[in-house]
Amino acid sequence: MSVSIEQFTQSLRERLTVPSLGFDDDSRFAYWLLLPSIAMMALIHFIPMVWGFVISFMEVNDSTFIDWMNAPISPLKQYSAIFQPNTAVGAEFWSSLVETFLFAFGTTIGVYVLGLTTALLLNKSFRGKLTARTLVLIPYFAPAVATIYIWRMMFTADTGVINELLVWLGVINSTDEMFWLIGNNALISMIVVNVWKNFPFAAIMLYAGLQSIPEQLYEAASIDGASRWATFRYVTLPQLKPVTAVIVLLMIVWSFINFTIPYLLLDKNPENGEVLMLFIYNFAFQNGDYSLGAALSIILLVISMTISYGYYRATMKSSVQGGAV
Amino acid sequence: MAGVPSEFELSTNARDFLIDAFQKFVLGLILTFTLFPIFMMIATSLKSESELYRDGLHLLPSALNVQNYVDMWARFDLVGFFINSLIIAGTTTVICLTVASLAAYAFSRYEFPGKGLFGLTILSTQMIPGVLILIPIFILFLTIQREFGVPMINTYHGIIFIYSTFTVPFAIWMLRGYFDTIPAALEDAARIDGCTRLQALYRIVLPLAMPGIAATGMFVFIIAFNEVLFASAFANDGVTPFAIGIQEFQTNTGTHWTEMMAAATVSSVPLLLIFALFQKQIVSGLTAGSMKQ
Repeated sequence: MSVSIEQFTQSLRERLTVPSLGFDDDSRFAYWLLLPSIAMMALIHFIPMVWGFVISFMEVNDSTFIDWMNAPISPLKQYSAIFQPNTAVGAEFWSSLVETFLFAFGTTIGVYVLGLTTALLLNKSFRGKLTARTLVLIPYFAPAVATIYIWRMMFTADTGVINELLVWLGVINSTDEMFWLIGNNALISMIVVNVWKNFPFAAIMLYAGLQSIPEQLYEAASIDGASRWATFRYVTLPQLKPVTAVIVLLMIVWSFINFTIPYLLLDKNPENGEVLMLFIYNFAFQNGDYSLGAALSIILLVISMTISYGYYRATMKSSVQGGAV
Repeated sequence: MAGVPSEFELSTNARDFLIDAFQKFVLGLILTFTLFPIFMMIATSLKSESELYRDGLHLLPSALNVQNYVDMWARFDLVGFFINSLIIAGTTTVICLTVASLAAYAFSRYEFPGKGLFGLTILSTQMIPGVLILIPIFILFLTIQREFGVPMINTYHGIIFIYSTFTVPFAIWMLRGYFDTIPAALEDAARIDGCTRLQALYRIVLPLAMPGIAATGMFVFIIAFNEVLFASAFANDGVTPFAIGIQEFQTNTGTHWTEMMAAATVSSVPLLLIFALFQKQIVSGLTAGSMKQ
């Protein structure tokens, strides 16, 4: 009997040590290097994420907050409220979700089109090119809080410069005729600010992508007599595919979880333009319903992960493995 | 081009000229869109409040009025907000760069089991909505305060720890790109000369990667300087940073736009100056991570 236990522990030890035998000195050193990052992320990202997931199945609010462990457990109460149109949260959830999608896709399209145009224009030699490149990058590096308030000031109905310009151009008759920060235009304003803030990032990434396209490809295209458009369509665009994938993915995800722009640009509780991040913030922190906020956040996380995964599968398999981290 | 007829070349030149002019025009439009808000910030900061509310389109201030730059300091503790932001963003940058450069070095130089999984895990943190982890972190900090007597909420170290972690994934991504450009042969030589792995990192690689580290540090600083959501929950009452403090220009009776724009201008100048100085490194670093195949 004892022999078999010994044999058992021996075989167990062998099993357990098989992977660690694979960890040569280099691997072990690499793990040590990763340890601080992983430990910090575990504390601030992963444990709170799991914790938030748990809270979404409970009833944690202002009164049960401090002693959250003893808060009532009611699985799916929050989730069913979200998906029922006759509850306070369910009534606005779908419209908020739609606004979030519009915000993300509007931003992505705007950032990409403007970014690609800028990159193509910068990708030739002319006087003042370096200056132009530097100036284009300014929105990305100026302090976001300050710049969002500039836009808020410019969008203000009665004194804002945008309405004053529109009056001057004769598009509208008086400056209090058009509202940008409330009503249907709120979403457009948010997209404009987000595009302004982020297109320099896309431009500089695409510019680097253009620079890395081998000259031979263009030579081959010109020998074949390809037109400008054909060269762009069949040489440039396909070569930009990996960097395009990175930009589109980042823009969608960053828009989905952007809090600063809706929070600072619009009123705190806007009727239109209340994207999910703001919606969640209001439910969780204005109403003190933390479990509902957590459940909504989990839904937001699942949506953005699904989109990212689908997009990753579709386009960027090779470029992520080689490139980003 | 030898086979192309000459009259064809002429018309091509004319077309090229038109295309070139059109391209300059579009670039001009884009630059206008880019710079107009910055121009408005500076212009408004030099206007008086009554001038701001005058009807009609007045882009430029009628007279250079620096009164806002004097008055803004008196309205509330703007100096304190700036100092808090510098402490928080500065310390965050140092901690984040230390931790992230170790991890980035591992990704750049070593093959180890689970490398792809680690990479994806780090990348996936970028998708977590801030509001989801805000509440648990708040409870976690409250628990630490209660159980260990260490204050965490409304302290420098509390918000610095949060920001240092938030910025690590992006910093790893950028730094990895820089490290990849440094030939490994230098470290191999150092190792043969008797350096340990860690010595090879901080004696050989880190000094060579300094420009890249500086550029990454600037990004980290900007992210920490601009964060609003966590600052509003974890940094009040004595440690309020500029990003939260500037909202006090919005009062119940209205927004003091002219003074706010003066404050915004003052906060933008240092960041834009650093950007102008490190432009080249920043651009190459931003693009290095994504360009490798």
